[in-house]
Amino acid sequence: MSFREMSAWITLTSVLACFGVYFGSLATGQVRAPSFATLHLLLLCVSALVALQIGLHAVAARFAPKAARAVRDEREQLIQMRARGLGYYVLMAGVLALAIPGHMEGTKIDLLNFALLDVVVATLVVSAAQIVMFRRGV
Amino acid sequence: MAGPPIANQIRRLRFEHGEMTQSELAERIGMTRQTVAAIEAGKYSPSLEAAFRISRVFGAALEDVFQWTEVD
Repeated sequence: MSFREMSAWITLTSVLACFGVYFGSLATGQVRAPSFATLHLLLLCVSALVALQIGLHAVAARFAPKAARAVRDEREQLIQMRARGLGYYVLMAGVLALAIPGHMEGTKIDLLNFALLDVVVATLVVSAAQIVMFRRGV
Repeated sequence: MAGPPIANQIRRLRFEHGEMTQSELAERIGMTRQTVAAIEAGKYSPSLEAAFRISRVFGAALEDVFQWTEVD
């Protein structure tokens, strides 16, 4: 597995884990927005995501130091570009879908959480698309 | 997913050049081993520049390394 593919796996799993906790807690009613508890949970999840990303990338770089320092080659750039293209469509669809809670009885926090969910889903799509393209070929 | 209609002789040429590894070839053309493997397996069509770099490593003409296989 190349360093870039490993990086995509790290992003996919860490985003899924951290924001899974956040949105899972909201969905199950363990925290209710707006509240300081929700804000604290969000900050905790974002901090955990940053720590996981840095830590896991550092570990991955120790196993492949040359690949970690190298610039992306043309295939890796193509994969990144195509994956981000897919993520863009997901992001745009999510932004348009924000109109639903916006025009119903959604609060500011609901809108914020929907926007955050949109960003998270788009990030997951980008990472998953990268993994698929690394595996199946471009 | 159907690959591009381009065949290549990279595997044979590597073998004929002292059993050069994919990693060695990758290093000489400034790519990753995974990209060389994808090119070799016909899963990725390299840019013209990369194709020339590969040909130069083997001291071969471009068409000795890559062949268009689609029937008109």
